[in-house]
Amino acid sequence: MELLSYFLHALTPMNLLLALVGVVLGTVIGALPGLSATMAVAVLVPFTFAMEPASGLIALGAIYTGAIYGGAFAAILVNTPGTPSSIATTFDGYPMARRGDGGLAVTLATFASVSGGIVGALALLFLAPPLAKVALAFGPPEYFWLAIFGLTLIAALSVGNTLKGLIGACIGLLLSMVGVAVVGGDVRLTGGLPSFLGGIDVVSALIGLYCIPVILDLVATKAAHLKVEADDKGYRLAEAAAIAWKSKFNVVRSSVIGTVVGILPGAGGSIAGLVSYTEARRASPRSANFGKGEPDGVIATEAANNATVGGGFIPTLVLGIPGTPPDAIILGALLVQGIKIGPQLFNAEADTVYTFIYGLLIATVLMLPAGLLIGRYAYRSIISFPKSLLVPTIAFLTVVGSFAIHSNVHDVQVMFVLGVIGWILNRYGFQPSPIVLGLVLGQIAEQGFVQSWLIGSSTGNLAGMYFGRPISIAIIAAAALTLCYPFYAEWRARRRNSEPLTEIATEAEAHPTAPAATGAPQASTRDTGAMICAAIFVVIGAIALMDTADMSAMGAVFPRAISILLIGFSLVMIGLALTGRGVRAPAPEPAEASRKRIALGVAFAAWVFAIPVLGFGASSLIAFLVIMFIAEHEPQPNAVWLRRIVIAIAIVALFWLLMAKGLLLRMPDGLLF
Amino acid sequence: MTLRKTILVSAAIALSAAIPAFAQDAASFPTKAMTYIIPFDAGGESDISARFQQAEWNEHTGQDVIIQYQPGAGGAQAWSQLNDIAGDGYTIMGINLPHTILQPLEGDAGYKTEDLTPVHYFHYTPNAIFVTADSEFETLQQLIDYAKANPGMVTFAGSGSKSANNLGQLEFDSAAGVTTTYVPFSGTGPSVTAVLGKQTTAGFNYATSAMAQGDALRMLAVASDERMPAFPDVPTFKELGFDIVGGAYRGVAVPASTPEDLRQRISDIVAEINADPDFVKKMEDGGFVLTDITYDKMPDFVAQMTAEYSEGAKALGIGQ
Repeated sequence: MELLSYFLHALTPMNLLLALVGVVLGTVIGALPGLSATMAVAVLVPFTFAMEPASGLIALGAIYTGAIYGGAFAAILVNTPGTPSSIATTFDGYPMARRGDGGLAVTLATFASVSGGIVGALALLFLAPPLAKVALAFGPPEYFWLAIFGLTLIAALSVGNTLKGLIGACIGLLLSMVGVAVVGGDVRLTGGLPSFLGGIDVVSALIGLYCIPVILDLVATKAAHLKVEADDKGYRLAEAAAIAWKSKFNVVRSSVIGTVVGILPGAGGSIAGLVSYTEARRASPRSANFGKGEPDGVIATEAANNATVGGGFIPTLVLGIPGTPPDAIILGALLVQGIKIGPQLFNAEADTVYTFIYGLLIATVLMLPAGLLIGRYAYRSIISFPKSLLVPTIAFLTVVGSFAIHSNVHDVQVMFVLGVIGWILNRYGFQPSPIVLGLVLGQIAEQGFVQSWLIGSSTGNLAGMYFGRPISIAIIAAAALTLCYPFYAEWRARRRNSEPLTEIATEAEAHPTAPAATGAPQASTRDTGAMICAAIFVVIGAIALMDTADMSAMGAVFPRAISILLIGFSLVMIGLALTGRGVRAPAPEPAEASRKRIALGVAFAAWVFAIPVLGFGASSLIAFLVIMFIAEHEPQPNAVWLRRIVIAIAIVALFWLLMAKGLLLRMPDGLLF
Repeated sequence: MTLRKTILVSAAIALSAAIPAFAQDAASFPTKAMTYIIPFDAGGESDISARFQQAEWNEHTGQDVIIQYQPGAGGAQAWSQLNDIAGDGYTIMGINLPHTILQPLEGDAGYKTEDLTPVHYFHYTPNAIFVTADSEFETLQQLIDYAKANPGMVTFAGSGSKSANNLGQLEFDSAAGVTTTYVPFSGTGPSVTAVLGKQTTAGFNYATSAMAQGDALRMLAVASDERMPAFPDVPTFKELGFDIVGGAYRGVAVPASTPEDLRQRISDIVAEINADPDFVKKMEDGGFVLTDITYDKMPDFVAQMTAEYSEGAKALGIGQ
């Protein structure tokens, strides 16, 4: 059989080595939030010019798939998605790690990623030409409804306090509109600052909203970052295999969702992860456990996001339309090699294409041993690092990551400011996840909506455009089911006279900062803090509304609708709070914990604003040392400090070299270095 | 060789190597890898053409070039930062027309057209009207007839608002005396996907899309001066009686602090690659039209383009 001979081509020692090195490199890059597969692939493309086309492609594909997988490590261990694809991994992965199941979560993520990756690659191998039609069947209305479906997850994430979830989503949607609009071309919500023309970068917002609160809370207490069982059971392979086997249907469903979403250009891993998470939660008998450390949540997200790799190559290779930026770079590498993309590719260049696909499959399988080893090492380092090294290291990584996106300090500042705001809002019950969902899905929702509007009104069939297309109807039905199912489940639970789901789920409220249950909300006290927040949101909504006055009709419709919603929701919340019916967030902790927190916040702020003045290296080294001292709760002998200072210098130097010499980023010089 | 001699020779070599580091000699430039910033996401025409250059770069300069992406605000984010980069010649940036003329006209883009220093515009991609291969429209005239009978009903997918595609569609509307609806997408990829999926009646895209899609698309007319070598059967708008020539030009820019001799040298490198037969073949096969607007021709070219596009911008309601 011909396909078999291509398989043997892929099995040359050189290709195997490239696949292995690619996967390892990709996993490490992906695990560092902000450093992306796009960057690594872009830098390495020139090296592939000298290689055989298939070998070069295997190396690039392996880096890509490794990076998507590696994102899970940061999500599980420090609650920060390493890539936007693993946003939903934080929902359950981090709570698992907090309660001592970090090793198990990493192993599960590995199993799921490998399975998802294989399903996606097999789809690419056998079904690419017919599946490419899916990309064409999705028009603007389908993208709009897909984004709305993703947003329904907010209802699930904020059970017990949907209002705060909706307000958070509106904030996220408004943030997604900052900058120059694709449709209409208006400059929106920048406050007149040219640095915001490019909008708020999703990755820097992710790092800020998820990671800064973790750092602030880490420094406040003496307790270890992650709980470690006295008899740490290592990989817990057998246990993980048993869980994965029990969830085999979840694995397959999530992989299929991931493959299909991957085929849609512009949708990508983040949506795939969110959609399959939502589906897994709805289908699970333990849906109330989602968000509190349910293994199925990690499995669903990780299976789906690695399936998008194979799925994304389908439109890239068949239609010449890349699904994601790494796909686009690989497409460019193919064109430079003189390979013509298109439906005829699978015949004309069968040798290269099939060798590449098998290489991708092999790389995915290699992810299993490589990932488990790296994951084990990452987990060990996280739990064995003393806090006074862990806190500045994570803080430094947030700065490195948000800087690396555009070689721009502006992104670092946005990251920090959003992080502090996110932490404050979380205190009053506004969780970061709805904001992130709004930010990630906002652009897709808006573009789909306005494009549908333009097409629908020009053909005089507006209602048919939004509600009359078969795929749209299916997505709307799924969204409605997701929204209504919790109410049905609760009603059924009440009828059986057992504990209502809401009660259980509110315990998850305080995620991610305090997974420990805070008890039932006290309905009798007034939620003053949230009321002040809501009042500020009303003002923000009003400012945004005024900003829409001189926009084109196309550019104004979405921000106008969202700001009106934001004002409406906030007013309802103020009303509820005044009548004592608000859901109060847990009370803040005593003052002494907050002293260290404020010190850290001040040091961090000084850091992000000193980078352009002092230079990246100098300011980072100083800040690292200062934060190191802030994060230590016990007096330590000088020898310990000396050792830590040496480690600090080594870490800063290592990352500076990686950025300046490895990824060739332009580093701000400033006065020093 | 004695030890003393060795030291002397090494010192002399070290000295001679050290001096040009201060006074960069344009003739020996470059002596290390260069960075080429693309102000867009990967996969667009800017990226693909830069990748084609990258493949030839080492052969012509002896050094590699690294491509990095800095997307944001339709390119404005990167262009507004171009002049903050050191002008040692080692960092260059892709630059596009009409973007760098329309964006500052529209409002505060963070830069002005005259702040940027293009040293070479090396190709352009003409606008073209596309339909799917099985579309009922075989000729441009059929599409125009349909648009006249059904005002507003013809929808064109294109890349971005107030872009080269958008400008082309408005010119077409006024030249043909029709009213069509322009639907902006976030790039060439998504807009061609919409055309292929028949989400819109037709597409106002760049001619390059025809190469990537092969037989799946039919090009009804192209906005170039003459028929393109890659598509001898596709008529130009001019032939059909519509005075529409337009599209997007792409080139290379340097920070304003770059000395004259280096600007000239980089312009020469791009011009040299533009004459490389391998490069020419890849570009023409890809549907790109090569241009050779070198550094010395730049002031006239930019002035002429600014005049042309400013007029077009009025039709878009920009800069009034």
